[in-house]
Amino acid sequence: MAGVELSGVKKVYPNGAEAVRGVDMKIDDGEFIVFVGPSGCGKSTLLRMVAGLESITGGDINIDDRVINDVSPSERDVAMVFQNYALYPHMTVRGNMSYGLKNRGLPKEEINKKVTETATMLRIVDFLDRQPNQLSGGQRQRVAMGRAIVREPKVFLFDEPLSNLDAKLRVQMRIEIKRLQRRMGVTSIYVTHDQTEAMTLADRLAVINDGRIEQMGAPIELYNNPATLFVASFIGSPQINLIPARFEGGKLVSGSIQLDGFENLPENKDLVLGVRPDALSQNSDSRFEMRVDLVEQHGADNLIYGVLKGAAATEGDETEICLKVDQQILPDIDSNLGLSFDTSRTMVFEKDTGARIV
Amino acid sequence: MTLRDVFNHLILCLGVIFLVAPIALIFFSSTHSTATLQTDSLQLSWGGQFERNYTSLLGFEAGFSDEVTPLAMLKNSMIVGLGVAILTTVFSILTAYAIVFFRFPWAGFVFWVVLTTLLFPLEARFINTFEVTSSLGLVNTHVGLILPVLAAALGTFFYRQFFLTLPEELMEAAQLDGAGPVKFLRDILIPLSWPRTGAIFVIAFMIGWNQFLWPLMISTDDSLYTLVRGIRLIGQESGPGMALVVLTITPPFFLLLIFQRWFFNSLAMTEK
Repeated sequence: MAGVELSGVKKVYPNGAEAVRGVDMKIDDGEFIVFVGPSGCGKSTLLRMVAGLESITGGDINIDDRVINDVSPSERDVAMVFQNYALYPHMTVRGNMSYGLKNRGLPKEEINKKVTETATMLRIVDFLDRQPNQLSGGQRQRVAMGRAIVREPKVFLFDEPLSNLDAKLRVQMRIEIKRLQRRMGVTSIYVTHDQTEAMTLADRLAVINDGRIEQMGAPIELYNNPATLFVASFIGSPQINLIPARFEGGKLVSGSIQLDGFENLPENKDLVLGVRPDALSQNSDSRFEMRVDLVEQHGADNLIYGVLKGAAATEGDETEICLKVDQQILPDIDSNLGLSFDTSRTMVFEKDTGARIV
Repeated sequence: MTLRDVFNHLILCLGVIFLVAPIALIFFSSTHSTATLQTDSLQLSWGGQFERNYTSLLGFEAGFSDEVTPLAMLKNSMIVGLGVAILTTVFSILTAYAIVFFRFPWAGFVFWVVLTTLLFPLEARFINTFEVTSSLGLVNTHVGLILPVLAAALGTFFYRQFFLTLPEELMEAAQLDGAGPVKFLRDILIPLSWPRTGAIFVIAFMIGWNQFLWPLMISTDDSLYTLVRGIRLIGQESGPGMALVVLTITPPFFLLLIFQRWFFNSLAMTEK
């Protein structure tokens, strides 16, 4: 088991494309780190650089205080779970799990013992003599995990391992991965574009955008206190409401809406007001009104979507807004709903730079 | 059975007749006397000369020092057929492996250059090939019979197409499992390619086995006669000659029979 340290890590492809633009990160022993970001942000590249499947063109990666830039993938002592499982199709489950150990020259009895132990833990003992094409998606996923676990690596790497599973199985496996990681205490890096997975799995979350770390911290910290507009909009489901505004005469102004309670904001600058759907509440003593377009009933609560009346337009369209309420509140379509919020639960960003002001 | 089924079966029956007729013609003709064949041409009925023709074939000896016997020709054909089949398979898998899995500059270009060999069959470059072969001192050797036939891209192409269907992660997973390039080839690629290998092996064997013009050109020594060349020696329109034709098509026939499941699986259907 070991810590991982990235310092100034860069990836520039021979054609000049920059995938990773200088990443610094210190991962503690046993920590579960999730890289999250939109597709093409460089999160997978970064993971593959730790694995040794992609060369490092700048900076250093340390595992266990050893620079591993030029160490071959198999000697880095990392194990990876791939999105498409990448099981060897012609080998049995047992063959898949023992291949890595065999290549290391472990004696046969020891391999068998380890494979059986791991298979028991993952509940795939009954499938040991089957081939991957005789297994379901979830079982294959377990085998892929087993192949990683049985090697007892210093670091686990997960590259979107649950994206090929159906929704129910994904939730099950998510919980199982978290449990296994807790139990074994192995340092793990997990790449996903699914913010729910990211929030629920991570000890610490790194939001990556355009080859850089936008913000890193505990999931709830990132949710409550995003440093940038990008992090605010990426973390949280349903997405945060973003309302274009300017600060004029001591009030935050968006179209015909004027909001009190904001101080010391820069004037003459395009700003964005961020309010999470659960920070809004329905209130007759309202600060603004929405016209209801759609109500989604999720069971315990309802999501109400609509247009914020009178607000400045967002990129030419009416500004949309979403509100999360109890299941009892069920407004009619096209009705108007008064909304209010607690100013302390809002955020204000600078539109051009995306930087958080309040 | 609907009318449509009857019609379909009719077409299939005609197809079978069309394909089987030449084989039947050869086999039945090999049971007739040379005289019948000469006067009445090929036959489609049992002729009663079966034993006589095949016995006389087995006792057949020709050439300057009576070295050209059916067994010697069979041996030569086997050496050429198996030589071409084994070497084509080995070189094809290695070439395709390099082209698909190793990022080297101009890999795509190299592949197309390899593929152009399909446009220049051996027959189209006889003179140059003969010069090269003779300057290597390979005239009248088995190697000389085999080597030039290997320059065909078909096997490389088949393997490449198959390798391209494999996910890249397979090699990456193997890399993390500590399998270098040789182990990956031995433990993963070769086992996965068995059906393809069977098909390529059979095709290459037939190409080698059926060579006629090239052996005619490169070997003047009687000891290098192959079966296909021998047919001309005995004469096509004789009873023993037809028997030799039957003997010639038997080994490839059994090979195909053994490999047919793999053969059809990998060529007729797309894998996965």
